[in-house]
Amino acid sequence: MKLFTKLTLFITLSKLAIVILFVWLLPFLVNRVAYQYNDYYLNEQKKKAMDVIRQNGIEAYLQGEPSYGSYTMLKEEYISLEPAGRVVVPDTIATLRRVVEADTLTYRVLSHTFYYNNNRYILEVGKTTATIGQYNQPLQRVALYVLIGLIVSTIVIDLIFTRLLLRPLGVIIRNRLLNTRFPFRETMRPVQTSTTDFRYLDDSLTELMGKVREAFEKEREFTSNASHELMTPISILQSKMENLMMEETLPEVLQKRVMDMMKTLNRLKKIIHSLLLISRIENDQFPKADSFPLRSLLQEVVDELGHRLQEQRLHFDLRLSGNMVLHGLNHDLIFQLIYNLLNNAIRYNKPAGSIIVHDQLIPGKPYRLLIKDTGIGIPENEIDSIFNRFKKVEKKENDGYGLGLCIVRTIAQYHGIKIEVASSVGVGTLFTLIFPEGMAAASPDEEASLPEGDHILDAYNGFSKF
Amino acid sequence: MKVLIVEDEKVMASEMEAFLKKTFYLCDLAYTAKQGLEKMEENQYDFILLDLGLPDKDGLLLLQEAKKNCPDAACIILSARGQLEDRIKGLDLGADDYLPKPFSLLELQSRMQAVARRKFGLADSIVVLGDFRVDLNKRLVLYADEVEIALSRKEFDLLSYLLLHKNRPLTRMQLSEHIWGNFSDDDYDSNYIDVHIKNIRKKLSAYSSVEWLHTVRSVGYKVKI
Repeated sequence: MKLFTKLTLFITLSKLAIVILFVWLLPFLVNRVAYQYNDYYLNEQKKKAMDVIRQNGIEAYLQGEPSYGSYTMLKEEYISLEPAGRVVVPDTIATLRRVVEADTLTYRVLSHTFYYNNNRYILEVGKTTATIGQYNQPLQRVALYVLIGLIVSTIVIDLIFTRLLLRPLGVIIRNRLLNTRFPFRETMRPVQTSTTDFRYLDDSLTELMGKVREAFEKEREFTSNASHELMTPISILQSKMENLMMEETLPEVLQKRVMDMMKTLNRLKKIIHSLLLISRIENDQFPKADSFPLRSLLQEVVDELGHRLQEQRLHFDLRLSGNMVLHGLNHDLIFQLIYNLLNNAIRYNKPAGSIIVHDQLIPGKPYRLLIKDTGIGIPENEIDSIFNRFKKVEKKENDGYGLGLCIVRTIAQYHGIKIEVASSVGVGTLFTLIFPEGMAAASPDEEASLPEGDHILDAYNGFSKF
Repeated sequence: MKVLIVEDEKVMASEMEAFLKKTFYLCDLAYTAKQGLEKMEENQYDFILLDLGLPDKDGLLLLQEAKKNCPDAACIILSARGQLEDRIKGLDLGADDYLPKPFSLLELQSRMQAVARRKFGLADSIVVLGDFRVDLNKRLVLYADEVEIALSRKEFDLLSYLLLHKNRPLTRMQLSEHIWGNFSDDDYDSNYIDVHIKNIRKKLSAYSSVEWLHTVRSVGYKVKI
């Protein structure tokens, strides 16, 4: 999830939680405030009554009667003055039931005991509980509306501000991570921001990419230098041996020796070639802009390998559905990839075995090319390491030097092609190339002109008639 | 034919000289761009073999001057850099061929021959081989001047390579390097060359004897004329 989405979610949810808490607490709070205010009000009323008694004497109320009582028209409030008993009770405020003219009502009552002319009186000021909470509902509603309005406006402000705040981060991700391509040759302009964290992030990324570029350039330079430095002495040795080979006085025994030396030198040469090839692919030095039909590429490979198929008396079967055209890759590298796989399929095959190359074109799924042989197979514990450098599957008489499959993997990775290997010892091996979306597309116009049968196979069979 | 070899590795230069001398080329050696330039100004050459990695100057710059001084010379670039851009740049600047190091001297001679045929239009492209005549330009093998014998592309390449280096034993490895090039193929110890030679023998011996095609035991093959 993106940071902005997370923040939006967090801000909205946290405010929602506050609203729910507030709504839940609001009736209780309002009620409490109303009662507290009411108690204060009763106290004030009591003070007024006591002031009147102090100024005008108790007779102003009693007027000869032993007790006094008064209430408002709707009986919301009352005041009463009665003689009290012996026991001194401190002032209390309590919710009590009182009978006023035959109506029993619930009042909030303040009871105050006082002495007047050595007589003890009790003053009660009361207010019906119904009137205490009469404004609660509208108050709650208004409070809720105001709160919701405030929350919505703070959410909007928060989101606008967060968006503004996070904008440099978006720019950094876009400019530094998404739109850059290894080896980061483009010049980097610093991102405009006053946030030091982003400033630091951007500077660090730029610095890091600079270092990567530097290391990459160094490796490129090394590759080029190593190639020169190693190739020159090999060149000299090779020339010397070739000249020696041509000496007419050279005995046959020595000719054979020189040839052995040339073989060893050739092996060295090919190892260096392969290492340089891998290094150049990894250094991004091959353009990926070729488009070509897969069928014609396979034809080229089989043309090169026909003599080996013939020598091993292998049955070669090629079944391609339609005419697939590959886009956006390097022809020579893909040739090398297919060549190495087929070459292995031949080398590790059994005499008179077979090699089947076919494909799977399922709509909605990536295009697959499958190369299956009836060879010696690969033990399960070795499958994971067959693509490693200098890893040999099994010693064979004219074994390679172990870089063939490493080159295959490097080329496949370079093009985003996935390779799957399935093998069982003594039965054979299946290599599956899974092309990324959009790399392989059927070419409908040429499809019709090609018969279902196979011209590569024909070409090969024609070859074997020689 | 006069050849100027511009190569800073003295041993390499003298090996090339030794090889080319045997095939009747006259060679001058230059170990630096400066020496090369002096030689170019003094003499006219048919071939200039140019190493790109010279100590005192970029070989590509020297190539431009060579084109000025010896406009008729065929220039072949020899380079260990082997990068595609170098190759394209070299050919763009007027080089006639490009040979990445390490190369086989046989391959060098073969390229020189091809350039000579193309550039100087040498007439001796027809070689008599027993009862056969091989036309290197038209890529034909004729028997008794009229019957055309169909060889596959690789078989013809093999035969003409053996012909070019006639009377010399060529190893299977040298032959396969010529036929299959230098791409990463680790089956150097192959005897696939034998299959092709067998085919050539079979096709040609249907018409006449092919005793000029010798097998050099445990080494390779040789065309003896």
